[in-house]
Amino acid sequence: MKITQGTFSFLPELSDEQIKAQIEYALEEQGWAISVEYTDDPHPRNTYWEMWGMPMFDLEDPAGAFEEVKDCREANPSHYIKVNAFDSTRGWETVRLSFIVNRPEREPGFRVMRQEAQGRDIRYTIESYAASGSPEGERYGR
Amino acid sequence: MSETLKGKERYQAGVIPYKKMGYWEADYEPKATDIIALFRITPQPGVDPEEAAAVAGESSTATWTVVWTDRLTAADLYRAKAYRVDAVPGTEDQYFAYIAYDYDLFEEGSIDNLTASIIGNVFGFKALRLEDMYFPPAYLKTYQGPPTGMVAERERLDKYGRPLLGATTKPKLGLSGKNYGRVVYEALRGGLDFVKDDENINSQPFMKWRERYLYCMEAVNRASAATGEVKGHYLNVTAATMDQMIARAEFAKELGSVIVMIDLIIGYTAIQTMAKWCHDNDMILHLHRAGHGTYTRQKNHGISFRVISKWMRMAGVDHIHAGTVVGKLEGDPSMIAGYYDVLRESHLDKNLEHGIFFDMDWASLKKVMPVASGGIHAGQMHQLLHYLGEDTILQFGGGTIGHPDGIQAGAIANRVAVEAMVQARNEGRDCFHEGPEILNDAAKWCDPLRKALDLWKDITFNYESTDTADFVPTPTPGM
Amino acid sequence: MEETIHNDPGNIPDPDAPVDIEGAFEDSQVQGVLDKLDRELVGLASVKTKIRETAALLLVDRVRREVGLASASPSLHMSFTGNPGTGKTTVAMRMAEILHRLGYVRKGHLVAVTRDDLVGQYIGHTAPKTKEVLKKAMGGVLFIDEAYYLYRQENERDYGSEAIEILLQVMENQREDLVVIFAGYADRMEEFFRSNPGMSSRIAHHLDFPDYSDGELMEIASLMLGEQQYRLSEEADRTFREYIARRRGRPNFANARSIRNALDRARLRQASRLFENRGSGLTKRDLATIEAEDFLASRVFENDGESS
Repeated sequence: MKITQGTFSFLPELSDEQIKAQIEYALEEQGWAISVEYTDDPHPRNTYWEMWGMPMFDLEDPAGAFEEVKDCREANPSHYIKVNAFDSTRGWETVRLSFIVNRPEREPGFRVMRQEAQGRDIRYTIESYAASGSPEGERYGR
Repeated sequence: MSETLKGKERYQAGVIPYKKMGYWEADYEPKATDIIALFRITPQPGVDPEEAAAVAGESSTATWTVVWTDRLTAADLYRAKAYRVDAVPGTEDQYFAYIAYDYDLFEEGSIDNLTASIIGNVFGFKALRLEDMYFPPAYLKTYQGPPTGMVAERERLDKYGRPLLGATTKPKLGLSGKNYGRVVYEALRGGLDFVKDDENINSQPFMKWRERYLYCMEAVNRASAATGEVKGHYLNVTAATMDQMIARAEFAKELGSVIVMIDLIIGYTAIQTMAKWCHDNDMILHLHRAGHGTYTRQKNHGISFRVISKWMRMAGVDHIHAGTVVGKLEGDPSMIAGYYDVLRESHLDKNLEHGIFFDMDWASLKKVMPVASGGIHAGQMHQLLHYLGEDTILQFGGGTIGHPDGIQAGAIANRVAVEAMVQARNEGRDCFHEGPEILNDAAKWCDPLRKALDLWKDITFNYESTDTADFVPTPTPGM
Repeated sequence: MEETIHNDPGNIPDPDAPVDIEGAFEDSQVQGVLDKLDRELVGLASVKTKIRETAALLLVDRVRREVGLASASPSLHMSFTGNPGTGKTTVAMRMAEILHRLGYVRKGHLVAVTRDDLVGQYIGHTAPKTKEVLKKAMGGVLFIDEAYYLYRQENERDYGSEAIEILLQVMENQREDLVVIFAGYADRMEEFFRSNPGMSSRIAHHLDFPDYSDGELMEIASLMLGEQQYRLSEEADRTFREYIARRRGRPNFANARSIRNALDRARLRQASRLFENRGSGLTKRDLATIEAEDFLASRVFENDGESS
């Protein structure tokens, strides 16, 4: 399976140039801050991926942020990595763009756990095949 | 000039024209706490447009004759004041009338109380349309507003930077719960974010509500596991009684749904009750504007949808259907831009071309997500993104379920189209003009998109809009 | 097979094809920047010539690349040496603009820093600090004033060397993303480069900013006064010439910056003088005129003949 979180997961993996173009849009057109995050627990409700350094404010050019993407990839080749663009203006104060820039070679995905409750009620839990059983850092091979 | 009678004369028993009773005050300057209503009036031939005063009277303190009991009150305060009348550009007989109301006329946080005054009694007049309203922060602050809001919704769903995608399950009527859930699963699995009950899906003989909820949540969870994304289905909780609606909402919550849905026809009390319930239960609230067409489409009579949009943002819904520009439910682009502004902006700037008559700060009431639904398909993605922007939900019902290769293929086509378009826009391309080329390029590697484009390429709905702007930009001389 | 280097122009395909350097120059709008520099900065003839030469080199390099002639991606890092107040920062800003117009940096902004912006106080602080500055400067020019403070010979464990190492790496590997300009006193810069040969070898352009002559400083003064709608009385003019000559010999002389400070102080004294004489029929001209006494109160004229 292919995890389809993020703004561009239905497109072919973005090239480095395409990644830079999106960062450029966030910086030049919008003035957003850029951050890089990574995880090996891509559960749909895992809100807090690890921060790869601090968010980068006041950048003029995508080159600096892209260096961080490269460094993060090098350090975590089998992790999910995403680039976020954050908007601090009133009424937003939230992420405005977020897309995956690295993913493990093999993505085993998730299973649905069903617990039969009263009557026909079912309590659903979604569990990651990769994350259940292995500790952080050892879930997708190196 | 004000012709208001004062003192004894004013309260002599009998019938005095509204104009002279203090409902017309040409020199009145609205206070910072006043609520202002803008009506389009069409007076009978020969009647003075200042008779707008009658609307002010009937929507505030007046009755048909003078009553001495007025003198037991601070009547000057409670009297609404028509203070300005402008001819509507391009018409012979229509006027915009501005009427100011003191905020003490209204109960706090009650759309019912507001509307009982503003539209309760006046629509017996021959032709009258409520075009826009201004609400001061002092009054807005008495409303809860959207229970979740656009920002928290995106954060809960972990979906940013692109329009969300939805679909209404088709056929509208007759599917059993199990078959219905199949459609939901296929569409979500394929790539949509939401699937939706239709407005008239409640608890009919072919599918009772609990049956639908159970199968839909199985579909939502299966699709979420298959994609790694948060997914949702708007479970319509509309029912005959408030108790029934709450019971349905509680069951949706118990099953882990992130969203429930109501119809506009349930009325303002029911909408505000559900807004409160959703706020207390971390639920997104979707509103289908069922029935609005009976009073929003007539240009000289009724209520503009921008007013309904304002009321609904105050009453507190997270989603509202607000027009598509290009789909089968038509809509003039500049009018729809106005509705979207009303729903999404933190601060409204007066913009007559968009039908927005007042500067108004929303006093931090959250943003509502506008929903574009009806007769739209992947081939129009560039137009949809251009007109509606990225903070909207695009509902492709037929445009998903009608795909020749199945529902999943239909969903893939829509998702690829929207992502490719956003990517191209962010890269600085002129999507509105290069849209077809961008879609064709994506279709080279995405077969479902290729088929969708081929199948629906010629489908557009070009109805003449009934509700259009009164103000159009004047061309620069010499151009 | 070994590749041979052809020095013979005969091997260049189509050598007679015309090239349009004039057109490229006009398109780049670099002349506008040079003009601006001329207006902004008095004198500095040697610096301006050097900038023109550098611009010409970069332009020709670009045209060469466009017509398919070999052009090594040139190293653009620079050093600006000279005493304080000689126009280094202003020239750096214009240089950033020129590099941008010629397509050597993508954005053309200038990020000016000193040691404190790059080097942390504790272990582990320096790398993130330096990297953050570098990221902000990407696409433009990083201007490091008094760069020699990065290196402290007497202390091998000084965190400055960590910053230097990171700088070097970026200067080498991301030449298309960033241009670095090192600035400071000539002698100390020389020593800095001697101690850091890796740095020295990566710097292709050296610009030396001479001190302004007394005449040039007078010209700068009248430019500054003109902007603020002040003038010197005849006597004040003579006094200020004298002031400049004396000031140069005193500590912390900073060329144009010293002139600005002196004028600021003179304006202050003029204001109190006018205030004292407020009852004596002053005119608009008085408001705009600086008198000799406004300078004479300066410490520069005190203790004549003694050391200060």
